[in-house]
Amino acid sequence: MANDHFSKGLPSTLTAPPFVDSWRRRALIAGLVFSAIAVILGYLGQAQNQLGWEHLLRGWLDGFVMCFGFCFGAMALLFVQYLSGGKWGLIVRRPLEAMTRTWPLVILMFLPVAYFGATLGHLYPWAQYADWAPALQKGLISHDMAHAIEWKAPMLNVKAYWMVSLLCFAIFAMYVIFLNRWSLKRDADPEPNVTYWRTRFENLSGFGVVLFSVLLFILAIYWVMSIDPTWYSTIYGFQYLVGEPFVVLPLAILTLIGLGKAEPIRSTFRKIEQHDLGKLCFALVMLNIYFAFGAFIIIWSGNSPEEIPWYLDRIRGNWGVIATLDVIFHWLIPFTLLLSRDLKRIQSRLSVTCCIMIFAGFWDMFWLIEPSFWDAARHLQLTWGILEYAAMPAALFSFWLVYYFQQLKARPLIATNDPHLAEILEHDYVHA
Amino acid sequence: MPLPEGLYGLMAEFDSATDLVHAAKAAYKAGYRRMDCYTPYAVEEAAEAIGFHRDEVSLVCLIGGVLGLVAMYGLETWIAVWAFPLNIAGRPYYSWPAFVVPAYEWTILWSGIAAAFGMLALCGLPKTYHPVFNAPNFRNGATTDKFFLCLESTDPKFAAEEARSFLEAQSPVSVVEVEY
Repeated sequence: MANDHFSKGLPSTLTAPPFVDSWRRRALIAGLVFSAIAVILGYLGQAQNQLGWEHLLRGWLDGFVMCFGFCFGAMALLFVQYLSGGKWGLIVRRPLEAMTRTWPLVILMFLPVAYFGATLGHLYPWAQYADWAPALQKGLISHDMAHAIEWKAPMLNVKAYWMVSLLCFAIFAMYVIFLNRWSLKRDADPEPNVTYWRTRFENLSGFGVVLFSVLLFILAIYWVMSIDPTWYSTIYGFQYLVGEPFVVLPLAILTLIGLGKAEPIRSTFRKIEQHDLGKLCFALVMLNIYFAFGAFIIIWSGNSPEEIPWYLDRIRGNWGVIATLDVIFHWLIPFTLLLSRDLKRIQSRLSVTCCIMIFAGFWDMFWLIEPSFWDAARHLQLTWGILEYAAMPAALFSFWLVYYFQQLKARPLIATNDPHLAEILEHDYVHA
Repeated sequence: MPLPEGLYGLMAEFDSATDLVHAAKAAYKAGYRRMDCYTPYAVEEAAEAIGFHRDEVSLVCLIGGVLGLVAMYGLETWIAVWAFPLNIAGRPYYSWPAFVVPAYEWTILWSGIAAAFGMLALCGLPKTYHPVFNAPNFRNGATTDKFFLCLESTDPKFAAEEARSFLEAQSPVSVVEVEY
């Protein structure tokens, strides 16, 4: 074939370039700085309104849920790319695998949430007022709240919270271990054995993606939705299911663009796949707003007193500003930017868009969590404590990045035993 | 206007997209501008190679989408607020959340229609006659597995002899003259 002299060989080195170490160092410094800021804000908040440590814990929850999303959202995306196939999956596979291998850190981050939040009841009213009758008499909780706590007790109790969460972690960790182990084994296989490996990964991923969707739904209810036990929504878990790839994919793109300054990614991350990943981001932007607006318009149309207060808590009392900005960050900006074909092919602009999308993920989590609490619902106060939602997630995310970059160095950045490898080694303009 | 006569251009046939792109790049570098590539499927790099930078389809699509959005949102607002105000469950007449979905649908519909018909119009379609179909090898290969580069005679640089020797230097399968 005439094409042969245009295909590049596999880069001589497949490991991460040395500058990943400096990324890791910077992330570590950022993590320490933000932690210090978070502690200072905690003292300031405590002095201001006695809620400083409460806000620190809420900020921690925000950061934990985001890091969980980065870790296991990457797992979900790995499932999807094994099931759908395609060149885009090959190029993001190793960064995604590195993200999934951060799961021990994510479980560590979970422990304070579960202990202070559920066992000591600082986050969840169903844990704090598990004995609802005296609390109702003293007027600490409303009738609706007492009713919800009473009827939801079989699911919303401290023991179930711990057990379900840890069980889900165990199942997810098992999937992560298999995905990572088989991926190495596949590369070590002296024969390509394409069908064998594809079937194996498809079988793992096919059931995994269904199981993950169901379990994520339950976890989203436990960890975030149950802060307000009076409310329920059947699309809530799906919003997390889209929200996670919404931040994971931009992070994978940013990683590839960053690594693209050196081999092996420089010669393998082509414009075609970059464009494809940009298009996938665009699809996620649309799917995300579809779910978010769909949930809103159904509840708005129903206008039922059991459902609408959740949105009123998040719109009234200056929360409307946060909600409007959420739509702008989450949809308007990425949507208008990603419409452009050129933008998706220019690395500097695509990376700005990716940063905005990741920022939007954190912003949205703030809007989901904080108005659930009695002291903030329909009343956004600009206190020191609110700033915990910037400091604490930034600290946890930075520490998570340290671990992620370390894992990135642990393996070759390109999976070699894959039929798509030949394609990504071609030059950009050969389609045939 | 009398029908043009004589030589429309010289057409080289290639076996692969890569050969075509290389020939097209060389032709552009040699100073040819009025030329066109013909491929059985979209080869974006061939378009870039002959100096075709961007098309206006996306602009037409955007205008169509914005018109659709404004039209439906305006229609809904006009009906709900002025033409036929109805009290629905005590909500305000101007209830924007309910207007979003149809407005969005019309944005999609109008931008889709604008893109499809705009693309046809900008391509100069429908067209009942094109000289390249006079070349027999074009008729057989252009929609299956052959790649063509046609240097047009209207190019100021075009001289039949020179153009032929240039194309033959690009190692094509064949070079044929295309008559009007």
